[in-house]
Amino acid sequence: MSTPGSAAQIPLAPNGPGQVPLLELRALRAGYGAANVLHGIDLSVDPDEVVVVLGANGAGKTTLLRAIASLIPHIGDICVDGQVVARSRPDDMLRRGVGLVPQGRGTLSELSVRDNLRVGAVSRASGREVAADIERWYEVFPQLGKRRGQTAGTLSGGEQQMLAIARAMMARPRLLMCDEISMGLAPLIVTELFGVLRQLNKESGTALLLVEQNAELALDIASRVYLLEVGSIAASGDAATFRSNDAIRRAYLGYLLRGTDHGGDFSRSFVLRDYIRIHLCARGAGAGHRLS
Amino acid sequence: MALALVIVFRSSSTINFAQGEFALFCCFVAWWLNTKGVPMLAALFVAMGVGFLMGVVVERSLIRPVRRRSENAVLIIGLGLFIALNGADGWIWGPADKVFPQLLPHATSDYLLVGGARLQYDTIGIFLGLVLVVGLLNVLFNWTSLGLQMRAVATNPESSSLSGVNVGRVLALSWGISAAVGSFAGVLLVPVLPPNQLDLGQFFPILIFASAAALFGGLDSIMGAVVGGLGIGIAESLLSGYVTILGGQLQLGVALIIIVVVLLWKPTGLFGTRRIERV
Repeated sequence: MSTPGSAAQIPLAPNGPGQVPLLELRALRAGYGAANVLHGIDLSVDPDEVVVVLGANGAGKTTLLRAIASLIPHIGDICVDGQVVARSRPDDMLRRGVGLVPQGRGTLSELSVRDNLRVGAVSRASGREVAADIERWYEVFPQLGKRRGQTAGTLSGGEQQMLAIARAMMARPRLLMCDEISMGLAPLIVTELFGVLRQLNKESGTALLLVEQNAELALDIASRVYLLEVGSIAASGDAATFRSNDAIRRAYLGYLLRGTDHGGDFSRSFVLRDYIRIHLCARGAGAGHRLS
Repeated sequence: MALALVIVFRSSSTINFAQGEFALFCCFVAWWLNTKGVPMLAALFVAMGVGFLMGVVVERSLIRPVRRRSENAVLIIGLGLFIALNGADGWIWGPADKVFPQLLPHATSDYLLVGGARLQYDTIGIFLGLVLVVGLLNVLFNWTSLGLQMRAVATNPESSSLSGVNVGRVLALSWGISAAVGSFAGVLLVPVLPPNQLDLGQFFPILIFASAAALFGGLDSIMGAVVGGLGIGIAESLLSGYVTILGGQLQLGVALIIIVVVLLWKPTGLFGTRRIERV
């Protein structure tokens, strides 16, 4: 277990000289009421970058994203474009360019598909541009186009997840955070969704911060990885290192890379935690260390 | 009045019990302005403005701090406001009934003859006012960005705020608008409701009727509120007219029975949408 002080040892993003990260967290702590969940997180995302946060159930992945999106209060610094964000609401955060696809998709279930997308664009002024964007998303997800007048609550899980991504993108965020978009969905749909995310990143340069239990797909599109364990960053490094280095795979991702179909299996999560704990104890570190 | 209840419910999923007292307070404001020589039409607009401000201020100061904790707390605060406002009205303007000036011509000779039925101008005026308000509200909900945001906040506040909606502002505005609509209805209705004067207890039965109407039509439907209101009105006069044992005194009882029956039999009302959740 790392202490808040030791978190500072964790290396930050390998930024080019002078480049300001789009999002930077310094010693971020957050939680619910008196219970602290995050114990000092340092993390950064550069413009255009795809970053994945991996971790078992209860590691604090969702709390991390909720804190960044200003849904819950935090201690420590959240910086967007190098500026500290203080006392903000989720809609302020979105105006700064940081959007979130929440866990459970956040469908506005009593509104039509079209209205869901229009709500996503309330922060934008131009009606014509918004209409064009809506059409574009109907093309990206033809299922949504077919059901544009339908109440969103009647969509299937996969369609709702598509809608959630499209709605979040309607505000044209520069950084899109996704909280376990693979949860509860068929592998085929998950692959399609990750394809769209990859395309988004490549074509429009939208930076991505993905929280996932489905490590295989996430590592595939990520450039950097953070491993979250019980509210602290246990390790971080290049996605390529995570993918290629067998020792690391075994140590950190033992089960995750074998089981790609679902993430909610509790017993497996325990296996991951034990792996990490044993690994860290063997090194006598008790804190995160650099992999790359 | 049923409309006012529906507006708040649509954007916040809570029922505001103080709605009637908002309207009563605004009627007192209109009456008071009128006694100072302000023409009734101008007084109506001022009263609506006052209602709007009251709605916004109450939402900001009293409702917002407890909303996160529980919806029941909001209900209780509504009840508290109900009593407090009623007391305040009596304290400021005295408990005696006030003669309330008519906005519309109302002498028995002022009527239109339609197919042998006499339609009083004030009845027609109230009807037209209703049509106007319903029309405007429909435009608001279905054609404006604010309306879209109000509907979004009602179905999922957290997700709306993640989508860029300023949830606090939307809630305050919807309370304001509903209070304004309530006072509009109040000023129009006071002269035609028994005892045809401005009375402290006047809006309590109206709140019951409005609740019955809103429930009957479906709490989240404007259309439902109107149809519910008409339906309740008709049911009432038929029952008290034909079932003579009920007499004129038991009308409120009828409204309450309708509330109970609707809740038991079809909680979503006639036009309400069933909440669909799919995970």
